[in-house]
Amino acid sequence: MYTIAHAIVGYFFLLLAVRILSRRPGAQLTPTEFVLIFLMGGVIILATVGDDHSETNAVCAVIAVALVHRIVATLKIRFPRLGAIVDGTPLVVLEKGQWQTEVMKKMRVADEDVMAAARTKSIKTLDEIKYAVLERNGAISVIKKQQ
Amino acid sequence: MPFPIQTEPIEKTKPIEDSVPKINNELAVGSDLEFQRRWWRWENGIWILFTAIVVADLLGCFGRGPLANAHARTNDGTMDISYERIERFSTPSMLKIKFGPNASRDGAVKIWVSDSLVKELGNQRIIPQPDASTLDGHGILYTFQSTPHPDTIQFGLQPTSPGIHSLTLRVQGAEEFNTKIYVVP
Repeated sequence: MYTIAHAIVGYFFLLLAVRILSRRPGAQLTPTEFVLIFLMGGVIILATVGDDHSETNAVCAVIAVALVHRIVATLKIRFPRLGAIVDGTPLVVLEKGQWQTEVMKKMRVADEDVMAAARTKSIKTLDEIKYAVLERNGAISVIKKQQ
Repeated sequence: MPFPIQTEPIEKTKPIEDSVPKINNELAVGSDLEFQRRWWRWENGIWILFTAIVVADLLGCFGRGPLANAHARTNDGTMDISYERIERFSTPSMLKIKFGPNASRDGAVKIWVSDSLVKELGNQRIIPQPDASTLDGHGILYTFQSTPHPDTIQFGLQPTSPGIHSLTLRVQGAEEFNTKIYVVP
């Protein structure tokens, strides 16, 4: 029983921690962010399984997390506001030649991050970009200016 | 109860609607900056809360720190007790009792402990091993052979349930020690 309760608490706590770490952990992981994700996961796992290393315990914990995730995913579709709370909303970081500095500062996005996303679309300079959008999964989508 | 049977046909297709809000009337992004601003304010509150939790943890408010460590002595000097007033669920800790000279009678120290020591606080071992242990009311009476100057016994605890648990210790014929131990999940 404790395992399932700990797994559910761990799921929501990790969800909160990752959510407020802005979106960078979702995509474009730097080495330090890799450390963050693995360390947080490892710490939560310790409290989840405790000193019960049985197969039953592991299976119950995995099923509990899968069920909670499924419920959250279903509720996100049904209640879009919950989706916005859990995953956030897309945010425009560059619009028609203007950096959206408030969004960039709050989301800790640098112009180098936008340019890194632009290069994957064969865009060579920032002035070729019409829009850059920080997506819910942490990726940056770039829309090129029409020639 | 059987699962409800779906009587209406499931909608397999639906026409595209302009359901995702646009910016500059040309790019469907679904951005909601007002919601995001509210989120940022809430996020700041969470960071303040997280900082407070870390500081409280460093101080020992959740066990294993300076505020969690407790020390008490009975007025008659029979027992000098070191323990953790805030314990963590399923986490080992030690409760030490240093006896005064008047604790020993007829070459033995007899100490009665409430059964919460074994049940909720999860006593795992006693150092040194008692020579006898007897069920006595709502507790256990341990007997240790001793010299006229007994030293220290230790109980290795590992709490089995979160909550507030009362603990009573009493050397036979001496003053009783009562305390409450908080076990955090």
